[in-house]
Amino acid sequence: MADTLPRPGVVTANVATDRAPRTGRPRALRHAGTYLVLMLGAGVAIVPFLYTVSVSLMNLTEANGGAWLPSSPQWKNYIDAWNQANFSLYFWNSIRIAAITVAGEIVFCTLAAYAFARMEFWGKNLLFSLLLATLMLPEAIIWVPNFITVSWLGRVGPIPWINNWPALTVPFMASAFSIFLLRQFFMQVPNDLWDSAQIDGAGHLRYLIKIMIPLSKAALMTLVLFGFIGAWNALAWPILVTTTPDWRPVTYGFFAFIDEAGAQFHLQMAGSVITMAPVIVLYFFTQRTFIEGIATSGLKG
Amino acid sequence: MSDALLTGQETPTTLARQSTSSAERRGLLSGRQGRRVREALLAYLFLLPAFLIVGLFGLFPLLFAAFMSTHRGLNKIPGAFTGLGNYVQAVSDFTYLLGFWGAVILIFIALRAIKRGVAAAKEKGDSFWRWLAPGMAFGVMVLALLAWIIRLLPLLLDIPNQMRGARNTPENFRRLLNEALTSPEPFQWLLLAACSLLVGAAATWLVVRSRNRRHGHENYSGAFTLATILVGLAGIVGWMTWVELQGNITASLASGGLNIGAQMTLISAGFVLLWLSWRLWQSASHRSSMMSVGLRLGGAAALIIGAWVLIAEAPRIIAQGDAKWWYALLATFYYSLGTIPPQLVVALVLAVLLFQEIRGRGFFRVIYFLPYIAPFVGTAAVFKIIFSNRPTAPVNEILGFFGIPPLGWINEPQGILNLLTPGVQLPVWAAGPSLALVVIMIYGVWTFFGFNTVIFLAGLGNIPREMYEAAAIDGAGRWPQFRYITLPLLSPTMYFLTLYSVIGTFKAFNHIYVLRTGAALGTTDTASVVIFQTFQRDTRYGYASALAILLLLVIIVLTVANNRLAEKRVHYG
Repeated sequence: MADTLPRPGVVTANVATDRAPRTGRPRALRHAGTYLVLMLGAGVAIVPFLYTVSVSLMNLTEANGGAWLPSSPQWKNYIDAWNQANFSLYFWNSIRIAAITVAGEIVFCTLAAYAFARMEFWGKNLLFSLLLATLMLPEAIIWVPNFITVSWLGRVGPIPWINNWPALTVPFMASAFSIFLLRQFFMQVPNDLWDSAQIDGAGHLRYLIKIMIPLSKAALMTLVLFGFIGAWNALAWPILVTTTPDWRPVTYGFFAFIDEAGAQFHLQMAGSVITMAPVIVLYFFTQRTFIEGIATSGLKG
Repeated sequence: MSDALLTGQETPTTLARQSTSSAERRGLLSGRQGRRVREALLAYLFLLPAFLIVGLFGLFPLLFAAFMSTHRGLNKIPGAFTGLGNYVQAVSDFTYLLGFWGAVILIFIALRAIKRGVAAAKEKGDSFWRWLAPGMAFGVMVLALLAWIIRLLPLLLDIPNQMRGARNTPENFRRLLNEALTSPEPFQWLLLAACSLLVGAAATWLVVRSRNRRHGHENYSGAFTLATILVGLAGIVGWMTWVELQGNITASLASGGLNIGAQMTLISAGFVLLWLSWRLWQSASHRSSMMSVGLRLGGAAALIIGAWVLIAEAPRIIAQGDAKWWYALLATFYYSLGTIPPQLVVALVLAVLLFQEIRGRGFFRVIYFLPYIAPFVGTAAVFKIIFSNRPTAPVNEILGFFGIPPLGWINEPQGILNLLTPGVQLPVWAAGPSLALVVIMIYGVWTFFGFNTVIFLAGLGNIPREMYEAAAIDGAGRWPQFRYITLPLLSPTMYFLTLYSVIGTFKAFNHIYVLRTGAALGTTDTASVVIFQTFQRDTRYGYASALAILLLLVIIVLTVANNRLAEKRVHYG
């Protein structure tokens, strides 16, 4: 059912279905020039990744001597990098942070998005524009205030926030982007469903849980993906709120490792592959959701 | 807040929605109203958690940053009050210019809101001015609430200091919080807010009761509320500017130096001339005779020269400001200019090529998107190695293949124009972006072209195929089709991407921070990076906040300018 619904969004995305009808004739030859340009673009996009993998398998002299390919693959670079950069801890941290953030985000944003999409209340437009206004704020302006707020909450509250999960997760549990994305999706659900649910005696909460959420699996999936990527990629905020490695996420861990590893490019690149691998694997498995989600909302977590 | 619910104002949408349900039509008015109140309460309950978080970590920071920016001190929260001192330190006398024109613009927006309200009311035959009292009362309420928060903040920020060690108990916290909340100075603002809420509610009730049933169903208090808030803010900005200016005039007169008043007037006049020339330039495009077009363009050029002479006062002021901050703004502009046009052009070409009946488009799309989706620390680390200054770095090896000596790339602080003209040493502002910054631009284009391609593809998918078919029947070739169908119909997408990229490049932090090297001597530090360093390394909270607010102003100006430019060029439909 969810697949038959139109996609929400700024630009109606028929990204995945924009395929033109095939005419059966082999057109590859006619399109030689086109392919040349497209291949060039693909090459530019992919070469840095290939180079990363190549250097990650070199030994020290090859890596620093400017070789293009390793003479014999040094798989143990990955083990060295994993242990030296303490990736076990950072991976676990990032996964914990992502899980907590996404769980909170799903609950809070679903409720808020439903209220904006389906309910009538005074001040709806005002609250919605206030919400969208937060999108304009540059990250730089929230660093100082949020750092102070988070330290304050940690010092007066029962648990510390700095160097702990609340500082890294709570501020990201509700975002204007997620609420906007879900609201767009909820608004596409036909009104008749609500009318018939009402006749059956369902209230808003039951309608949301029993009908809206099952229908919006695709949108929620997008939200989970973006939440995961966002948590995985965060750098500035973790630098500000983690002074110990206990809850430091993988991006910050690897960033610190680049400095520590110094001129050991092979280890740096092995670490780079380790850092990127989960996201890239996830991307290849879910690339349709990914690309459509980004095309509809124009964002990265 | 709930007064509107109780007085029974109904927006057309609620009415329409409710009349669709036959169950409701049978109910009495009170029953229907009870249902609406219950729905609204449930909606507020649904919104509560999200708005607690967004409010505390997304909206409140703006007010908090504004508050912090008026305080100074190292590693002190909030530090000592300094008025606009931080701004003066960053951009020197431009602060007064910004303060003055900021206040003027706020008042202008307030007047425009009222003007629009008048026009809207006139069209519907409603009475507008009777909403003045309730609107103003609500505006005063918002201002009083803001004042309450600002007054309460220092007291709240002090609580942790009184809870050190053994006194760190929940009871103690509750006591201190209670003390702060009931302390008289902030409390009087809360009282004022409550009073204006009551006044506003009463006034609304009176207006609703007395209005003519046949006319005047719309509520126009919003325009007055907005106008009151804006005028209040303008007053605060203007007053702070005036206080700062007075202190500074005395200081500069004592040292027998420059005349701030004259400088301000000159530069303001310069900008007014620039604006006039822009208007003239625009009006030239509507004229048909060569003569009048020529005259107008000539006039515009003359005005630009005049403006330039007046604005030439600016360098002297810039020299007194924070050189690092000015350079950071310049670097941000370079970064924006150096990444957005190339990535849009590349993406447009690739998207148009991909949007043909060819095999493997899914494959190409997946590949193009890879740089965007891959974690930026990983890819930035590779770029740091590919573009390093070692002779054996990949780029330098390629240069060596063509017999070119190795370059410093990511470690090169020299401006590119200086590198191209080895004999002449240009000053910093004329030397262009440093080679290190150019590498970061290359990284930016590499990361974002795939994203732009995907958005362009979505935009191309929205163009009806029939238009191309019709054009083909009329004998239009591929280029005319592209020029007269694709480009105009793609303009909304183009507009979205430009706005998104401009804001994005001005916010950019992460990859620039990772690609930063000591050897580049800070030439790659864009505005966000400088703010981060000021905060994280130097612990100058107040100054960092002031810089962040200046950055926000730049972003707002660019957004408005972008919207203005796009207004006439974007085709919808």
